[in-house]
Amino acid sequence: MQSANVLLKKIIRNSVLPFAAQHGMKKDLFPLSRTLSLSLCLKQDNSGSPSGKLDLDEWKKVMKSGLQEEVSETVSKQKEHSALAAAREILEMWRLAGRSVPENITEEQLKTFMECPSKSAKKKYLKYLHLKEVHKKNDKRKMDEKRERRLEAQKQASETDETKRNSFMFLWANAMDKAYSWRVAQSMIFGQPLIFDMSYEKDMSVREVTNAVRQIVLSESCNRKSVDPFHLHFCNLKDDSLYQKEFIKHYREAWGKLLVTVTDQCYTDIFPKDKLIYLTADSPKVMKTFDHDKIYIIGSMVDKSIKTGVSLARAKRLGLETAALPLEKYLLWNAGAKNLTLDQMMHILLTLKDTGDWKKALEFVPKRKYCGFVNKPVHELKKTLSLINTLKFGKRQEEARRQFAKNYSKKLIQK
Amino acid sequence: VQPPEKPLQAEEWNKLRESFQSPEIFEEVMFNSMVRYNSPIDVAKSLLTHMAKSNGDIAYNLLLKYLALCVQQGQTSEICDVYDILKIRFKILESGAYNLLIKGLTNSDKWRMALTLLEEVKKNMTPSRTNYESCIKAASRHQEMNLAFELYHEMLANDLVPTLDILQAFFDFSRGMKGAELQKELFGILSYLRENQIYPHKTFMRSIKLWFESIPGENWKGHLTNIKDSGQCPVCNHQLEDSDLTQEEYNNLRERITRDVIHGTDTFRKTSPQEFEAFQAFVENRLPFDIVIDGLNVSHIKPRRMQCENLFDAVNCLAKDNARLLVLGRKHMLINSSNWKREIMKEMQNKADFFFAENISEDDAFLLYATLRSGQHCKFVTRDFLRDHKASLSDSLTRHLFRKWQRGHQIEFSPSADGKHINFTPAFRYDCVVQTTGDTWHIPYKDSFEEKYSYRAPRKWLCIQQQR
Repeated sequence: MQSANVLLKKIIRNSVLPFAAQHGMKKDLFPLSRTLSLSLCLKQDNSGSPSGKLDLDEWKKVMKSGLQEEVSETVSKQKEHSALAAAREILEMWRLAGRSVPENITEEQLKTFMECPSKSAKKKYLKYLHLKEVHKKNDKRKMDEKRERRLEAQKQASETDETKRNSFMFLWANAMDKAYSWRVAQSMIFGQPLIFDMSYEKDMSVREVTNAVRQIVLSESCNRKSVDPFHLHFCNLKDDSLYQKEFIKHYREAWGKLLVTVTDQCYTDIFPKDKLIYLTADSPKVMKTFDHDKIYIIGSMVDKSIKTGVSLARAKRLGLETAALPLEKYLLWNAGAKNLTLDQMMHILLTLKDTGDWKKALEFVPKRKYCGFVNKPVHELKKTLSLINTLKFGKRQEEARRQFAKNYSKKLIQK
Repeated sequence: VQPPEKPLQAEEWNKLRESFQSPEIFEEVMFNSMVRYNSPIDVAKSLLTHMAKSNGDIAYNLLLKYLALCVQQGQTSEICDVYDILKIRFKILESGAYNLLIKGLTNSDKWRMALTLLEEVKKNMTPSRTNYESCIKAASRHQEMNLAFELYHEMLANDLVPTLDILQAFFDFSRGMKGAELQKELFGILSYLRENQIYPHKTFMRSIKLWFESIPGENWKGHLTNIKDSGQCPVCNHQLEDSDLTQEEYNNLRERITRDVIHGTDTFRKTSPQEFEAFQAFVENRLPFDIVIDGLNVSHIKPRRMQCENLFDAVNCLAKDNARLLVLGRKHMLINSSNWKREIMKEMQNKADFFFAENISEDDAFLLYATLRSGQHCKFVTRDFLRDHKASLSDSLTRHLFRKWQRGHQIEFSPSADGKHINFTPAFRYDCVVQTTGDTWHIPYKDSFEEKYSYRAPRKWLCIQQQR
């Protein structure tokens, strides 16, 4: 109802002519504005002549004449006025002012918005909703286009046996699904366990938990499709936890049929401690090879504010061995934190398990984070890297030149 | 796009619009560049008129941009007209419009209207601190100091942090005015600076000085000076407050450091309970220390030398006068390596107590604990600014306490010019905050506005004294 009103308002404001048609039922409420708008059209016709002095303040008259419609509408709306409605109005004004604000907002989102502790938190939340809306719209448009294209193609190929092939495709996908499930089921008996530790809910915001679950869903799917899947364990997963709720949101009925082991027990209760290795970027130990007899643990934590040492603290508390990926050793690190997303970890571990090839495995580290694989001594590469960076960001050019000159003269002296 | 210089007719605008690559945002782009080039408002008006006639309406964001242009040029009557129009067309306005209106009106003789606007803003949200800034400046410019202070207290009550400009305006516009109430308010601002450890910049300091000197019949005189290391003011020979915390503050800080910095959300993040207990027992057995040294930090001072030699120099340097030293390090220092020679380590352990933490533990937390446990006289040595530890404290009051304690107890060091030995900069013996004794004021100030290294206390002071 609210948004309908807003829409109406917009139509009224933007064009004069459709006004009467849109407001057929309300017509008797504001006869005055109607005549005004008609007179407006007349005025427009008159001003068509090129000669004559410009009346610079004429726009004010036009703007002020729009008065009646607004007033009558406010009168009709006043009864549903509340804090929520006020917030909605402010949002609408922000949208008109050109800020990133979603067009439609649900009651629930509005409440979250009002509960944001600060102005910047509010701004961020609105921007997030706005972007989400834009993405959704784009996706929908693309889907529609695709459907249209498909319908057209079908029309063109209605005589040929296109339909048969489609059903074959369907059967094939079905068979693949079955094959995958078979493999995962086997891994649940014979496969190497891999543990996702679900004990970080209190360290994360709601959005971080949502993201973590999405990453786990991606990891699970790539595990299912791999040649030799892990036997996934979701440990420390409590009933009614946020994780659980998000999982059910993602998988719906499939959650019960998922071929993973879900438990609220800790991994230390299930497996012998000396077999467990906790993977964390903060670990002082660097992983050298992938061990097929060990059980690796990944902390299911998305940590946008870089809380260092949370998972390391957990491993320390339980007295477990820890390890970090040898990112420094194989990659010339450029920018970004060394903690990777859960699905990236999954890809890397699967590749290691199948091939043991670090170079191949570390292909899954996002390209923006590193500049290349290490094939020369690291310190030499670092020098070129800093040179590249200074050339890229002109600001520090001067500094680089000075540094270079210093190094260069040092070299000369050494010779 | 370059906006036209003269108002255009409708056809001319149409032509321009069609030649523009994306006509749907033509008006927006045009208004933006009008604001940028500060075009005459008649040009903007002609575009508005053209739009009003062809569409029957002007979008809200374009009205805002026009308003910005008017504010930029101080066109008060236009601002009022736009406000009237906005009021008619829209039930409520958002903050962008209010910001512009308030800014525009406070710079004119209609500044009182801005106050009613401020009231309007309050109905829907808290006004921003710049809203208050405009209004307070306008009120004090018109010598309505009571009103200005009323607004100032209101914004403090709303948890807004006043800009330095606001505070300066109070001193600027109270110059030469007499009144006990006014004086009390301005002293209140000075104590706000003291409580929040804010240092005024040079021009602000000058405003304070001029205000003091302008109070009729009180005969204040201000001098710029540098305070000696002893804490004595060279102008009036007054001894500044020392940097010691009260016993209650001190205990409070110690508790909070243990709770927030060492334990935090999880003791395992910085150390482990066993290790911390062992450390506590170690410290209790050997109390009290005079100087606690961050061994690894000191050992990196001269990169060309062996790390244990650096540490050895520092220990020798500090071990004078029978000072009891505690050096904190990590276990890897005990393994004989190219940087850590066993013999030198042995020799050092005769001169100072050593505690070696696990390699993955944080020694800074131990440093703070050992220093605080030893009492007020104990100092610590590190080049670390300890900002991350300050940040782990949960409230600003404790953070201020920490800052004060750090200023008074941290010994910083640097290699000497010839690189042969280490220079130690002693901790401040006096407290670096705004302070008064009634007939003197001492105010530390920053040289420029931009200087924002919060860890560096200023060395320059304004000394104001009343001559009788």
